[in-house]
Amino acid sequence: MLLREVEYAKPASLAEALELLAANDGARALAGGQTLINVMKARAASPDLLVDLHGLEELRGIELAADGTLTIGAMTTYSELIRSAEAKARPILGEVCAQIADVQVRNRGTVGGNVCSNDPTNHLPPLMVAIGARMTIAGPGGEREVPAEEFFLGVYMTAVGPGELLTRITVPAGRKDGFASVTLGADGTCICNAAATVNGAVRVALGCVDAVPVLVSAASPDEVAAAVRAAGLTPPADVHASSEYRAHLAEVLASRAAREAAER
Amino acid sequence: MQIRVTVNGTTYERDVEPRKLLIHFLRDDLDLTGSHIGCDTGNCGACSVIVDGVLLKSCMLLAVQADGANVETVEGLAADEELTPLQRSFNEHHALQCGYCTPGMLMSATALLRENPSPSEAEIEKALQGNICRCTGYWNIVEAVKAVTR
Amino acid sequence: MRAAGAVDVAGHASETTLAPEKVEVQKGWGGQSVPRREDKRLLRGEGVFVDDVKRHGMGYLHFVRSPYAHAHITRVDVSAAEALEGVYGTLTGEEVAALTEPFFQISSAPGSQLKDYALAVGKVRYVGEPVVAVVAETRELARDASELVEVEYDPLPAVVDARRALEPDAPVLHEEAGGNLMWQGLYSWGDLDAAFAEADRVIEIPELHFHRFNSTPLECDGALVEYNRGVGQWTIHCNNQFPGFAAIMMGPAMRVGLDKLRFVTQDIGGGFGNKITSHPQLVVCCLLARKLNRPIQWTEWRTDFHLSMSHCNERWFRDTQVAVKEDGTLLGFRTKTLDDAGAWLRYEPLGGVIWAQVTPGMYRWRHIEVEFTQVVTNKAPASPNRGYSRMQHLWFTERVIDIVAHELGLDPVEVRKRNYIRADEMPYETPNGCVYDSGDYARMLDLALELVDYGSIPQRRAEARARGKLLGVGIGSTLDSGTNNFGQSRLINPDLQFSGNNEVATVKLDIFGEIVVTLGTTPQGQGHETTAAQVVADILHCPLEDVHVRAGHDSYWNSHAGFSGTYASQFAVTGLGAVKGATEMLAAEIKKLAAAVFQCPEEALELADGGVRIKDNPDAFLPFMACGAIVNANNAGLPEDLDVSLNCRYVYRPPFQLPDLERKYGNLTLTYAVQIHVAVIEIDPDTGYYEIVDYAAVDECGKRINPQIIEGQVMGATAQAIGAAMWEAYEYDEDGNLLTPNFYDYHVPHALDMPPLHTAAIECPSPFTPLGTKGMGEGGGAGIHAICAALQDATGVVVTDSHNPYQRVWRLLQEGAR
Repeated sequence: MLLREVEYAKPASLAEALELLAANDGARALAGGQTLINVMKARAASPDLLVDLHGLEELRGIELAADGTLTIGAMTTYSELIRSAEAKARPILGEVCAQIADVQVRNRGTVGGNVCSNDPTNHLPPLMVAIGARMTIAGPGGEREVPAEEFFLGVYMTAVGPGELLTRITVPAGRKDGFASVTLGADGTCICNAAATVNGAVRVALGCVDAVPVLVSAASPDEVAAAVRAAGLTPPADVHASSEYRAHLAEVLASRAAREAAER
Repeated sequence: MQIRVTVNGTTYERDVEPRKLLIHFLRDDLDLTGSHIGCDTGNCGACSVIVDGVLLKSCMLLAVQADGANVETVEGLAADEELTPLQRSFNEHHALQCGYCTPGMLMSATALLRENPSPSEAEIEKALQGNICRCTGYWNIVEAVKAVTR
Repeated sequence: MRAAGAVDVAGHASETTLAPEKVEVQKGWGGQSVPRREDKRLLRGEGVFVDDVKRHGMGYLHFVRSPYAHAHITRVDVSAAEALEGVYGTLTGEEVAALTEPFFQISSAPGSQLKDYALAVGKVRYVGEPVVAVVAETRELARDASELVEVEYDPLPAVVDARRALEPDAPVLHEEAGGNLMWQGLYSWGDLDAAFAEADRVIEIPELHFHRFNSTPLECDGALVEYNRGVGQWTIHCNNQFPGFAAIMMGPAMRVGLDKLRFVTQDIGGGFGNKITSHPQLVVCCLLARKLNRPIQWTEWRTDFHLSMSHCNERWFRDTQVAVKEDGTLLGFRTKTLDDAGAWLRYEPLGGVIWAQVTPGMYRWRHIEVEFTQVVTNKAPASPNRGYSRMQHLWFTERVIDIVAHELGLDPVEVRKRNYIRADEMPYETPNGCVYDSGDYARMLDLALELVDYGSIPQRRAEARARGKLLGVGIGSTLDSGTNNFGQSRLINPDLQFSGNNEVATVKLDIFGEIVVTLGTTPQGQGHETTAAQVVADILHCPLEDVHVRAGHDSYWNSHAGFSGTYASQFAVTGLGAVKGATEMLAAEIKKLAAAVFQCPEEALELADGGVRIKDNPDAFLPFMACGAIVNANNAGLPEDLDVSLNCRYVYRPPFQLPDLERKYGNLTLTYAVQIHVAVIEIDPDTGYYEIVDYAAVDECGKRINPQIIEGQVMGATAQAIGAAMWEAYEYDEDGNLLTPNFYDYHVPHALDMPPLHTAAIECPSPFTPLGTKGMGEGGGAGIHAICAALQDATGVVVTDSHNPYQRVWRLLQEGAR
């Protein structure tokens, strides 16, 4: 419950933030803090320097382009996204964010933080993979874009390297999306989740079953279950689910998400 | 680090370690013990306060992050010896037993009613989802909030 | 979501449980839902919980805890920690072993052999066991310094499953006890051979399992301890809910008289039994306060609470045999109970006898045999949790009823009605001599079924099936036995010198006539200040607001006795019994004084309007203010033999005898509150996920002093039972690591998780108590029983575990499909 000693900086610009992160090995970006502060309370990780991103206007805001593409600043809170008129262009975004934890967490936690922490039980990594989002990473060498499918590398690990920051998430136009999950009670810790998009074929991303979201495709929602089985999942077992039960849930939730997407 | 925080209308200047959580700053440095600690993983909501108009859990904010901010805690809800209509409604509906979750519940309900003075029952429950109570089962709390909606 | 009506004994629906009445003196306060006076300070954030208490120069304490479930401690080095600037000092197990005696053990052999100290000595026996205490200038420094404490361990194999604890090669936790068996007893009443001979069928149930969880009060344990060196006395600000028990454990261990331990509590953030056994940590605080000559502040972290505090008794019921008639009449049962005490016996093995308060559950079978075995395992020590030991046993009897119904193809409602103890049999003596004071179970069941519109269930089942869901309905009936006879402890250990029970209240008139009530209890949200005031005002005929009840508990008020505290569903009997007794004493003294002043007989007087007056001449009126002034400051001229102090201390003592140790027979509890719940659930068969779609709770607790407070207890118990049934479990891996050490994985119900709730109540006054009240509050786990029954109904598969998360339900469905 009590953090180790740490230094704190609140840069006023993206450039300054990147400098701080590059110059200090033990520096960590502090976004909403709804995960990182808890990690630090448990002393599971103890950065030497917290670089608070709340002063960076460059990381805020949601824009809707004429072609329906959404650009979401990494520091957008879940609540801001839920309230955003622009984000309604892709309704699944707000719908899924509204299922995250509780209003206090949603008021402070950020979409960037959710994808960058890449906890296997988070909702946004599989969602971003399913809808084909693209992640913009800023670093000392400039900006680069990484498709969501290639962004998630391992448990708590993403393509954002040391000295880099996720600055925005670009979401293509679309509305035929679905999401299904089983959680501990309402909006609680997730046991299994699945996000789906229909764009001709069905694209389903499974969460909670591996270190990173697992992408499967099928020609139609009815063929999704078979596609999941064919993926040969061996999900982790924990106190809430055996590997077998989790794999079964993945199959069921993938089909449900796919059907929801198809029916939109 | 030197910080300047306004809490319930009073401005405080203090020197704090960056690692100090806002909840500990409120309780230990400012002697505002109305906000409580019930967990160590950000789940229970007993520490809920309003910072610059936004409801959040003060156990997941560093005190230094509240520099320059306006913080509202349970102590600031009622003036003098009175109870607000929301607090009176809690009393009338027996919406508290041990009282430990109550400050957090009041802040969450206050934030809800500012944003939405006429919430449905489901919206009330959703707004209180981040506040754990072990005594009441929530039913009376929801009734108490309902009773002051317009 | 809330739809409630209270139904009184005559069957008329009323709304007294919900609508705050406009209250007037003439009506009488008993039965009124008076809004609580405690609320103002709590709503304003002005409550005083233990972490709110501060003292100049206090040191913050952090415990270094064992990372191993079982290990020898080979080295402890605190020098690096003590060298850190801002660290005031440390305490190790070695010091504790030198400074204290091991804690008194309730158990007879072999459990009596345990050497239990306030810190681990030589060995650790569960993950999270406190090993070293570090005190520093700030919380953060104490935490930092704890990482500099060096402890070396030599790990040992751990025994985690109680069913393995008695195997010949099982790791032994306490060498002094020679094995992991702590206590064993055989209870046998009636004539089992005859019962089984008479039976049409013998239903066999190989194994039923009640799981490990607790009530996770939102406030964890804590203390601020000051040591007065000059008089050798500690002031222990804490939230321990049974200071009487803490004192008798701590005093002998610390080699001091009990008056050297002053317990002070005010507001406590929930207890539910889980704040009874904090005495080891309190001893550590006391020793450090003396060693370091400064106040010591300790607040338990949530994770530490989950790891180490007060898990409920995990209990297996094995090789159960039930003798039944074809029509569903239950004749008797035998079972072998295995109880898991965790690593230490802190309040155990009392759980080995306390279940016997409700031996037959709510049913009339007379032939019962229970072989009770308690073992230790490398897990957190068990100690009381809401419903303590009766809950487990009542869950067992409810499972038996439903399994019998299932096996015989009978309706669980009919089987219950056939076997419930009847209202006209009350007071009812159970096979082991306990006396159920009153109750009308069949009527309550009817009410509960009505509240969920039971008749519509078949139609709702079909409608649910059309949506792809499995609907189930289940009954959970339960008892809250209240006001213990501590003589039952002698069934555990005949050498114990405990029996009976008591509670104290002091009611006085101050110099200005202020009525001041001092309780011996330690409420954690039960509204004692309000209900005590109601009782006092009714007896003294004064305005309610003129009765001042002190908040909390303080040993120095000298208004407590050996069993004082708030636990085990008893305040309405023991606490209010003491209040009644003290107030009646005061009323009698007031009249005695007025008789002397007015020179009239006492019978001519009455209390009214905040004073005392002559009945036939109301102008002859002495307000309480005058009474208080005369006795306290103006007593010249009073008759020499006038024995009046207007400061009346009363010890309520329930009428108990020592139980017959030979036959294990006797009255173990004074009152039996009742709850009957019905749960309606819907399962998503593809995932095992399920929800409660309708729920009814009907309660009965004798005369109700404050119906709204009572209903609040019913609701809270319901929510906790739902949590335990669906999500809450302390699960360990095979190395003894707790897999649910925080609220992420140990999910407790939040606002969105609660079902629609219907409540109702009836009153069957207790013939045995001063006010006709019964203790209540624990709730007997009724929600767990009802949800298990509903799951069995929905799946068609016998439910054998009290804890049914989605995965288990899915497995039940797989089993049913085979």
